[in-house]
This record gives sequence, C-alpha cells and structure tokens, in this order.
Amino acid sequence: MNYLSEMLKLPVVDAAGEKIGIVNDLGIATGEVFPRVTALAFQGPGKTPFMISWRKYVERFDDDGVYLKYPATDIRFSYLQPDEVLLARDIMNKQIVDTQGMKVVRVNDIKLSTTGENQLRLLGAEVGARGLLRAIHPLFERVTVKVAKMLGKPLPEDIIAWSYMDLLERSTKQIKLSVSHKTLSELHPADIADIIEQLDPRLRTQVFAQLDTEQAAEAIAELDDDELMTEMLEGLSDREASTMLATMDPDDAAALIEELDYEKAEKLLRLMGVKEEKAIRDLLGYEEDTAGRIMTNQFVALPATATVQDAIDALRDLDEDFESIYYVYTTDAEGALTGVLSMRSLVVADHTDRLKDLAYRDVVWVAPDLDQEQVADEMTKYDLVAMPVCDENRHILGIVTVDDALDVIAEEHAEDLQIAGVSVGESNAGESTHAFTWFSQRQYWVVVWAIAACAIAAIVVTPLERLDLNVMGIATAHQMITSQGLTALMPISIMPVVLLASMRMVSFVKNSYLEYDERDDEPKPYLGFFLKTTLIGVILAAVVFLCGELMATTLFGEADPWAAIALLSCFKGAAAVIVGTYASAVIYFYVLFRSDEKDQSISGTSLTFAAVLLSALAYTVLGTLPLL
Amino acid sequence: MEQSTKKKLTVAAVLGAMGPGLLAALSGNDAGGIATYSSAGASYGYATLWMLPVMALLLIVVQETAARCGCVTGKGFASLIREKFGVRKTALAMIALLIANTAVTISEFAGIASGLALFGIPKTVSVPLMGLLIWLLTMSGSFRRIEKILLLVSCVFVTYVVAAFLAGPNWGEVALSTVTPHLIPEPSYVSLLVATIGTTIAPWMIFLAQNNVVDKNADESDIVLQRIDTTTGSVIACAIAWFIIITTGAVLYPAGIHVADAADAALALEPIAGEFATVLFAAGLVAASFLAACVLPGVTSSAICEAFGWERGADRSWSEAPVYRGIITVIIVASAALVIMPGVDLFQIMMSAQVINGVLLPILLVFLVFIAGDKHIMGGYKNSRLWNVLTWATIVLITVLTIVMFVLQALGY
Repeated sequence: MNYLSEMLKLPVVDAAGEKIGIVNDLGIATGEVFPRVTALAFQGPGKTPFMISWRKYVERFDDDGVYLKYPATDIRFSYLQPDEVLLARDIMNKQIVDTQGMKVVRVNDIKLSTTGENQLRLLGAEVGARGLLRAIHPLFERVTVKVAKMLGKPLPEDIIAWSYMDLLERSTKQIKLSVSHKTLSELHPADIADIIEQLDPRLRTQVFAQLDTEQAAEAIAELDDDELMTEMLEGLSDREASTMLATMDPDDAAALIEELDYEKAEKLLRLMGVKEEKAIRDLLGYEEDTAGRIMTNQFVALPATATVQDAIDALRDLDEDFESIYYVYTTDAEGALTGVLSMRSLVVADHTDRLKDLAYRDVVWVAPDLDQEQVADEMTKYDLVAMPVCDENRHILGIVTVDDALDVIAEEHAEDLQIAGVSVGESNAGESTHAFTWFSQRQYWVVVWAIAACAIAAIVVTPLERLDLNVMGIATAHQMITSQGLTALMPISIMPVVLLASMRMVSFVKNSYLEYDERDDEPKPYLGFFLKTTLIGVILAAVVFLCGELMATTLFGEADPWAAIALLSCFKGAAAVIVGTYASAVIYFYVLFRSDEKDQSISGTSLTFAAVLLSALAYTVLGTLPLL
Repeated sequence: MEQSTKKKLTVAAVLGAMGPGLLAALSGNDAGGIATYSSAGASYGYATLWMLPVMALLLIVVQETAARCGCVTGKGFASLIREKFGVRKTALAMIALLIANTAVTISEFAGIASGLALFGIPKTVSVPLMGLLIWLLTMSGSFRRIEKILLLVSCVFVTYVVAAFLAGPNWGEVALSTVTPHLIPEPSYVSLLVATIGTTIAPWMIFLAQNNVVDKNADESDIVLQRIDTTTGSVIACAIAWFIIITTGAVLYPAGIHVADAADAALALEPIAGEFATVLFAAGLVAASFLAACVLPGVTSSAICEAFGWERGADRSWSEAPVYRGIITVIIVASAALVIMPGVDLFQIMMSAQVINGVLLPILLVFLVFIAGDKHIMGGYKNSRLWNVLTWATIVLITVLTIVMFVLQALGY
C-alpha cells in the first residue's frame, strides 16, 4: 500500500470481521519530518462520517482493507486535533508551493510508506504525470511507465517531501508545521518573487500578506513585471505600503513609486518618515535611466583629515539595513570629493593614520544626468564595485552600486537580444519548444509565402463558374484554367527570393543598430544609411533580374514569346520590390532608434515579420499585374 | 483606508467592472449561434421569440453563479471541479471540454470562411490569415489588451440591430410574440429549441465568466458589480439573438425560404431586404466568429492547465508554460486546417459540436450547482434556494429536451 489514492475507498473491518465503513481520509501529525498517520476517517452506514485514532484501533491493513483491533461496539470516536491535517481534504488535489523546486504545483497523489506492522508515514506529495495517470486508473500508469521505458525516456515519480511543502489554503494556514519545515517565507526574496509570479491573483495577495514587511519589500523589488509590482502595492493598505517602501533601498523605492499614479504616490510619500521621503524625492528629481535615478544616498564620506579610527567608528555607527559598504570617500573642507579608500586599505592600516595619506586621489566619478548604460560601462572599464555621483562642485550626491549596474547591463542585454530576434527565456527551454520557437521566429516566411501564393492564384485563375461555358465549351475552359494556373506558378516560385531578401534586410538593419555606438547628442546617420542600403538593394535587384533573364532565355527561348516575357516581368516585379524594400530599410532603422528613445522595447521578430508581410503584399500586387 | 476597502457603487465603478461578463455572454453569439437564430427565424417566424427572455434568465442564473464562485474562492471553475470532485471526473470533463471546444472552434473558422466568402475572399486566403491573426492575438501577452480588442470587435454586433430595422418588421406583432409562449409540436422545432439553449448557454462560457472574475482579483465585496456585469451581458447577448430572429423572421419566413447556416441567411436576405442588409449580416457573422475563435482556445487551454496544475496565462512564455501554449496552438492549427481541407463535412462537425455541448452542459451545471451549494467552499455566499431551484430546473429542462431530441432522431424524424 503506497498511495493515498489506493487507500481511499478501502473497507474498514472490525475485530468481529464485520465491515463498518469505507476509508474516507487519513489524518497526519504535522510535527515530524515524515509525519505519522494518526487518525482514520471513514464513512459508516448512512454516509455518517467517523474519525478514530489510528494508533489505538488499527491492527493491520493490506490491499483489501483496514482491520481494527476491537469490535465496533468498543470503539470510541475522536476529533481532529489542532496539529492534524487531513490528507484527502487539505492536501490532495490542492495547490502547494514546492519550496525546494521553487514552483507552484498541484498535488496529484500522496505517497505513503509502511513502517512496522501497522504504522503508516507520509513520504511526500506526488505532483508529476504518474500521479495523475494513477488517479485516473492504476492500469494507465503501469502501461504508460512501460511504454516510456521502452522509448528510453523513463517516467520518474515527482515527489515533494513534506518538509518542502508549503500549504496555501486558507483552512490549513493556522496549522503549525514542524521546525524542519521550509516555508515560503524562508526563501530568498528573489525566489519568493518567482513563486508569486506563478500564483493566481488571490493567492498572490494572500501569500504576500504573510511575509513580513522587510521580506515583502525585498520580494517586490525583485518582481520582473512592473504591472504586477503596482498590483501588489495596491493590494496593501496605504500605511503598510508606505512602511514597505521606506524599508526598501531608496533607488528601488523610487523606481516603484514612479509606476504608481500621482495621487497614490504622493499619499504614500507623505505617510513615511521625513528622511526616507526626502531620499526618495531627491532621486525622483532626476530623469529616468540616469545615474541620478539609480544611485543610492547611503554611502560613507569623511573629511580627508579624519583618522582611520574615525572611519571605523563611523562604520560601526551605521544602521543595520544600511547598503553594503565597498569604499569610504574623503572630502575636503568644502565637502568636495578628494579621494577614495577600499575596505582593505582601511583594515590593514594603523588606526592613527590619516585618511588623506591612504586615499587614492584620482577618483573616477560621474554626473547625475549621465545615462545609466554609460555609468555601467564606466564601472566595467575601471573595475569598480561602486561609482560616486557628484554635482559640478564635486559634492557627492550618492553612489551607484554594482547590483544596480548589473541590472542595467542585464536589461540592455535583454533588449539587444530581443532586437536580434532571440527571446530571453529561450535559453532554458526544452528541445521540442526550442524547435518550435526556432521555426516560428525564423522560418515562418514559408507560411506567408503559402498564403500569398493562394492570393496570387485567386487573382490570376478565373473560377470555372465565371467562364461562359456556352461560348467556349468545357474542354477549352479546362485548358484555359490550366494554363492560367501554370502562369500563376511563375510569380509564386519567385516570391521566396523577395521574402528572403527582406528578411536579410531587417537583420542588416538590426546589426547596424546594435553595432552603432550611440551618442545621444549627435544626429543619427539616416541619410548615409539610406544611401548605403539603397545601393545594396539596387545591386541585389540587378543580380536577381540578370538571373531572371538567364532563366527566361534557357527555359522559354524556343517557346511562345509571351512565356519569356511573362517570366521576365515577374522578375522585374521582384527586382522592384527588392529595391523598394532596401530603400525603406532606413524606416526600420528609425523605428529602432525611436523606440529606444521612448524606452519601449521592440522585438526584432515583429520587425522582420512586418517587413516580410509588406514585401509579400507588394509582390503579390506587382508580380501578378503583368499576368492579367 | 476605510474608503479603499469599501467600494461605492458609482457610475465609474460599474463601468470599470463591465467587460468580462459582457464579453463572455457576447462570445456566446458565435457562428453556431447566428446560424441557429437565423434558421429559427426563417423556419418559424416569430414563434421562437418568447424563448429569449427565458434564455436571458437562465443565462443570468448560470453566469451569476459562476462569477460569484470566482469572487468568493478566487479560483477558476476547473480548479474547483478538481478540488471537489478529484482527478477522474475532472479528466472526463476536461476531455469533453477539449473535444467540444475544438469542434466549436472549427465551426467558428467555418463561420469566418463563409462570412468572408460573401465578400469574395476565398477560404484558402481568409482562414490561414485569420488563423494567424488569432494565434498572434492569443499569444501576445496581456489579457487586458486582448479583452479591449475583443470588446471593440464586439461592437460589430450593432449591425444586427441595424439589419433588423432595415428588415422593417411589424413591431406590434414582435412584441406580442415575445411575451406569449408558443409551442409547435414538431421534431425540428424541438431540436431547434435544444440548439438555441446549447448555443446561448455554452459550457465554456461558465469557465470564461469565472476566469475573468478571478483574473481581475475580484472578491466578495465585488459581487454586486459582477451581478450588474453578468446581467447586462446576458440581456444584451439575448437581445442580439432577438434582433437576428426578427430579421430573418420578418424577411425570410413570409417568403418561405429555409436556411441552414448564417451565410445562407445573409445571401437570402439580399433580394428581399437589399444588399446593405446582407453586408451587415455577413460582417456580423465574421466578427462574431472571430471573437469566439479568439476566446475559445485560450479558455480551453487555461481550464485544462488549471485543473492539472500546469502553468498557464497569456503572459507566460513558451518555456514557462509549454502545455498552455501548445494546446492553444494545436486547437487553432487543427481547426483552421480542417476547414481548409477539401472533402471534410463541416456541417457534420458543427452538429456534433452542438451535441457534445448539449451533453456536457448539464454535467457541468451539476458540478456548478454542487460547488455553489457547498458551505465549506462558498461560506455565507452559497446558493440561495431560488437559485438552486432555477439551476436544477435548467439542468432538467436541457436533459429532457436533449433526450427528446435524440429519441426523435432515433425514431427517424
């Protein structure tokens, strides 16, 4: 007896050998790593539910039933204890969080294990396909497992141990789980954020409400989706939301507040302490995506005349939730930045040394209105873990730390990948989806081609019912339709050249965009780009046209002259569309720059798709015109 | 803080809540629906009009119950079935839902094809293009955006109202037949009755209505707003059906023209009511089929994934929710391919879809009524006695009518 699904509906037989009911549910004591089954719930005659103690009354059990030690008359019924959970009611078929695999899953079956003659323990929840199949019918599972083995892809059980389950249901939330239990709130905030994203909206709010303010603050900052962030924030009361924002790093809080509407943002800001409010408001004063916006005002700066001992004392006095310290900065009497010390040089130095003697004088700093990407580039170039941000008088306003810089780089990278036509999530996809994605992103032109071919056929070929059969007779009509169909094949067979050319064009534009070393103040080289791509287009079109001429003379040299003319005019159409497509490359180039300025990310795949669709449309018109 | 928890019934709040229920009810007026209504009007004139107020009431009962379950539990209908009835029954329900909805999606594509064919676009062009568009729309991120686009599309339903006025019916007679029940003891009348119920209260609309509420994260305090939403949605949907029956009843019935599908009806309108009525009718057909074809694959896939605990949602990528996206893709591709393929009997598929729906609906309603009556799940918001009686009456009515229809068909009528 291994699974709950097999235990349910077994007959319960008392000592006298009489059947007194069927198994309905099992209760477990939650305090252990592998909880023991402590209660047996069964349904007696007349559908009356009963519950008895497993330890006291159950003598043994097997595949055919559960046998009790005493006759039915001697049994005393009990109630569910506060620390007990009913397996079928509370866990089976419910959603739980797998705190090890960091996923939200549904329990398909529960695996039990026999320890001793009459003891059952809970091993874990089965969440894989096998549990599902077994629940439908055990035979199903056995057959599928065998087939899977033969195919060389064995189907393992997917079991989550009790200690890695976190129950989500309202009714089970009050139960105190064992000490070794790893609940959601013990996970890293980034993992909590991942799980929250997987939940239904209602559970999302519930789970979020269980976290303490600090965890909630960190988790919310880790959410990828801006919309979700504001949704979570709006689910809280104003006071909670405001406290949470105050505990966050000011730069994260600023990013979040910006997503809210003006009134809500103002209200939350006013509710928090003066210090936090000022810190966030200062950051909000800088433009988006600049050094000023991502910097934090939590840094250590001391007069250059101070001693090492002063510096250490200053560090000791800091709050516990102060941002990590990488460097100590020194300032002159006016407060201007003069030097920087690493933690290491502070630790190894004598306590009486002056900071100005140890400090590195040639400090790299940036202005608050510098673009965040350039800040990240500078930090990479000078190998810094924190970069000071100063105003024109070299007064330190804040520092940009490495975690924010990494975010900027990751964001940039994702944008570039998207423009290049590769989605970010693709790297961890399985084989089959991979193949599909590859097709849908790279080879869909075949589908476009097929649809356009149908359109061309519909335009060129006259339907039989439109022909006047009285005039020409059925045989002539068929002949005419056949020759029309063959003629329609000409533009159809040439079309792939046009579609592929336009795909190449977009990838050329994308590469030029990604390689373009952008300087915001300079005008973009649109005219040069236009001339360059048009030239390429003209050359390509000429090649296509010459190939066409070659084909026309070899194929139809001896045939009716109209055939060669028709084929050639199809190639002319193709050449014209290619020139047009390449001349319009500058538009796509412009669109990419435009979307970057407006900070919308545009997917490269959609650009290519648009180009392919447009050229297919253009060629459908231009290619069929000469045939009419 | 007080204000944020207590929701006031302002006009803005009501309009903000509008949408899901309206969309759910409107997408019930799909290709099959329009076909059924048109042929009802053409064959029996105004004699079926009285059913629509009854339909509206039944639709309200079902949709309200589903939306209320969503508000109270925060879970979709598939989730609730799984948690209350276990894997086996869920698997059965889901397989039936998958088959029924795929069949309905096929009929939507057939509707798109025949509707656009009236504008001179061959189905080899229209179906792949529309299929691609629908696929892109269902794969593209946020549901909110999809909902907005679909609501915009559903404005085309106004065309049926205009068409009805163009047809120039005798409004006095219309009003009278709407309120006086009228039974014709004919087998085809009974089967039309079953078809009307089956298409007005489609099984997947229960899933859609509840999912919409859950996605909006509405809770107990939103029940009033949801009621307003579902009621207006149901009434509007039935009103549109009413206008369709009036149009064909006023034009085709006196002329004695019988029609089998909506495109037939649109064509038949031309010589009598003028070209404009045909164009309106055809445009409505295309929009309705498009709307339902957008909604159906997503609803099906979402219900299946929810029941079996796989990740789902329009904003999940291929790597995160392969099953969800896979099911949608398969349904769309299979339906579009079947419609284009020559030699497939579309009419047979559409009829089987209606039959499967007819069998599935009472079963799902039984699930629904048990869930909504469960105190452990619904707490203080469980079904009132009136609602229970109405739902059971619907179940019995549909079951009896379906059985009668089968018996009549078996007897060879």
